[in-house]
Amino acid sequence: MSKELLQSRLITLIGPISIFAVLVLGGLLYASFGGSARDGLITQMLINAIIVLGIQIYVGNTGVLSFGHIGFGAIAGYAFAICAISPTRKNSQIPDAPFGLSEVDLTPFQSVLISILLTVIVAFIIGLGLARSGARSGSVAATVITLALLFVVHEVAKNWIDLTRGGKTGLSFSPLGNVTLQGRGWIYIALLLAMITARLFKETRLGRLAQAAREDDLAARAVGIDPAVQQMVSLLLSVTIVSIGSSLRVFELGSINPRLFFFKFTLLTLTMLIVGGRNSVTGAIVGVVIITAGSEFTRYLAGPSVDMAALDWILRSGLTDIFLGASMLGFMIFKPAGLLGDWELDNWLKKFIPKKETEEREQSRVGKDQIRDLQSLKVEGVVVDFGGFRALDKAEIRATTDEVVGLIGPNGAGKTTLLNVITGVVESNEGALTVNGKSIEGLQPHMIARAGLVRTFQNLRLFHLLSVRENIEVARLASPDAKTRLGTDTIEQLLHLTGLNDLSNRRARELDYGNARRLELARAAAANPLFLLLDEPTSGMSDHESEAMIHQVRSVASLIGAGVVVIDHDLNFITGICDRVYVLDQGRIISTGSPEEISRDEKVRVAYLGGS
Amino acid sequence: MTELIQQIVDGLGRGGIYALIALGIAVIFGVMHLVNFAHGELITVSAYSAYGLFQAGWDWWLIAPAVILIAGMTSVVIEFLAFRWVRGAPDFTMLMTSFGIHFVVQALFVMYVSANFRQFPRPDWIFNTVKIAGISFEVFDVAVIFFTLLTLIATFWILQKTMFGISLRAAAEDFDAARLMGVRSDRIIRGAFALSGLLAGVAAVFWLMRSGQAGPTAGLTPMLKGVLAALIGGLGSLGGAVLGGVTLGLVEVMLISRLPEGLVGLTDGIVFLLIAFLFVFRPQGFISVRRAERV
Repeated sequence: MSKELLQSRLITLIGPISIFAVLVLGGLLYASFGGSARDGLITQMLINAIIVLGIQIYVGNTGVLSFGHIGFGAIAGYAFAICAISPTRKNSQIPDAPFGLSEVDLTPFQSVLISILLTVIVAFIIGLGLARSGARSGSVAATVITLALLFVVHEVAKNWIDLTRGGKTGLSFSPLGNVTLQGRGWIYIALLLAMITARLFKETRLGRLAQAAREDDLAARAVGIDPAVQQMVSLLLSVTIVSIGSSLRVFELGSINPRLFFFKFTLLTLTMLIVGGRNSVTGAIVGVVIITAGSEFTRYLAGPSVDMAALDWILRSGLTDIFLGASMLGFMIFKPAGLLGDWELDNWLKKFIPKKETEEREQSRVGKDQIRDLQSLKVEGVVVDFGGFRALDKAEIRATTDEVVGLIGPNGAGKTTLLNVITGVVESNEGALTVNGKSIEGLQPHMIARAGLVRTFQNLRLFHLLSVRENIEVARLASPDAKTRLGTDTIEQLLHLTGLNDLSNRRARELDYGNARRLELARAAAANPLFLLLDEPTSGMSDHESEAMIHQVRSVASLIGAGVVVIDHDLNFITGICDRVYVLDQGRIISTGSPEEISRDEKVRVAYLGGS
Repeated sequence: MTELIQQIVDGLGRGGIYALIALGIAVIFGVMHLVNFAHGELITVSAYSAYGLFQAGWDWWLIAPAVILIAGMTSVVIEFLAFRWVRGAPDFTMLMTSFGIHFVVQALFVMYVSANFRQFPRPDWIFNTVKIAGISFEVFDVAVIFFTLLTLIATFWILQKTMFGISLRAAAEDFDAARLMGVRSDRIIRGAFALSGLLAGVAAVFWLMRSGQAGPTAGLTPMLKGVLAALIGGLGSLGGAVLGGVTLGLVEVMLISRLPEGLVGLTDGIVFLLIAFLFVFRPQGFISVRRAERV
């Protein structure tokens, strides 16, 4: 880790540590004015914060809505209870426990470790299933799998009476001695650990890649990100934190039963996460505090101490549930990103820390163009049938890394389909695809990107919530092999070449059309491909902009030493940029040659203008 | 053999109810791309309506059509109050919204009725048996199968022959194109919610005849079964939803009759596990609705 990176990570830590301090000190202060009931409330709040942070790691970074985390919590809670309850108590509560578990006698700390281990193993299996189901942001199959987990765990806990003592009574510990709130060091340690883990994970390479896949699954694959890997890592990390929190929850309550980790608790934790902003660690804590305070207040209002006959119709039991449900619903309808969106305290604090960067940036602008051996892309005899329609009929193109190759043709000629075949988005019925003689046939899109073919999208697929710089940074980091990645200075160069340096901290969704197209180009280049495959890079641009794009594409390509295959309708652009042009019509290559030769070709004229 | 036929009829009876719920979920998914986890609330509302009407002295013959109408109207009201605002929102938002509605409705009943279940009488004929071709069946199963078929035929007739049905299918195929062709999106979505509510109402009548109780969580199990049926059938495919419902019913009955005594309590758990496995290998369900993403 470079010194610079270490420094920026340390600054990042200021955020979680100060939030932790405020939360704990505030909690202790509040509790010191009240009786033991307040101690209990603050304890619960801090533990819920740990669990919500755990859920945030998965839901926030991947965008997959999970109802299963409380199911994982139930597994962890039971594992903890069964390990930590003393053998004498177990012999009276669950004398017939399988595997001789009633004789097990472990310390709470050992029990937490066992509970993490067990839960992570289960999560790994579930994670494989989620990956198989093609989980991505908002995908229903994934949510239902997690929901199924919650129910299965609940059913098992209710019915496996030998192990769990069933649903009525549950398991209980011998009462914990009198430990003051300040004395519960384990909670503070766990909370700090959870905060730092959640916050740092957002900044790590894996975290960033997960967020990119959350924003756009297909675009992430196209630059070489395999979302399944990120999702699995997020899941395991998130479940680890949830296990710690759940074990603590059981430990503090002194008992466990199946209802403790079911729908109600799921509602509570998810509402906390959503109200604060699921993409923000700071937000998760804000949500926990607001919802805890709100629930407490509504409970007080609905309780016997408030007696207002006029408001009797609303101040009654169930008010807390309404509060939770309405918060969830209200935020989804009016402010789905939550109060804070993806705002983090430390990012805000960073603005006040002076930067010393100007010289470095100026230097790197000089740029060293990457020199590569000549590489080739061959597409031969590709046939694609959509039902009865033959979209591509033995199409073939060749390109080398020292040239810009154009692909033109009337609408519906099959240009984008050909690009989709090359990048693995559409499967071909016949044909061969090779990069430098190596077949890339049948590879997943992210493997094709890693083999050196990275594309842009005609209909713009940027990572909307990430900044311009982050869009490029993520693509640079996509390759799992650090040796094949471009240097960090390339980001500045790409920003400079595409004219985006002034916009580098803007979110991608705020960009206008032209800038969004240029960012597509810069992002694709940052993945360090052998070939840039550009799908209508000038569509929607003014003449002036598309003329500038000629130079931008050429300089970006020469910076990374890549060849270019470009589809476009703008003939000035194509003539200006291409060394060679292929003309595609009705799925067939009908002509090829230099732009001048093409413009004289009779067949091309007929294809475009019709007639004979 | 006799036993197997009895089980199949029993399974079809169960599955018919699931199919109606799943069909409603599929209809809404078609027009809004929303998996409605609040669909079960229609059954909760139906349950309380049935309970209330019993208190008022009504009989099942009158309660049944009333419940169906109430479910249809409730569905439209929920769309008007909540779903209208998240049309076209990202999938995550819509999923969460439907769960939000689920929790709010549940809480409203806790607040204004009771957290406890209320009982009402089941029709006295539901445990009667009838002999057909020498095999005895429960009258209830036969009735469910008959009315489910009737409802399905009516629904598919509406979808195939009426202007509303054709617009709805067109909207399900390609919403933007349908709008360009003059289909009024407001009306179609409202209509889809009404249709889906009426289907839930029919399912609710049978569900309640068997359960005979109303509670805040009454809709949870039928909702889950319906969503699962719609998913295993292939989301968005109307035929798939029916197929999924019937399959789910049959699998459940087969499991219950074959599992050893101690494991019967785990039937739902095992079904969930099977379904989770199915998604792992076929996330798109039985009938895959191609939604080509334009790239």
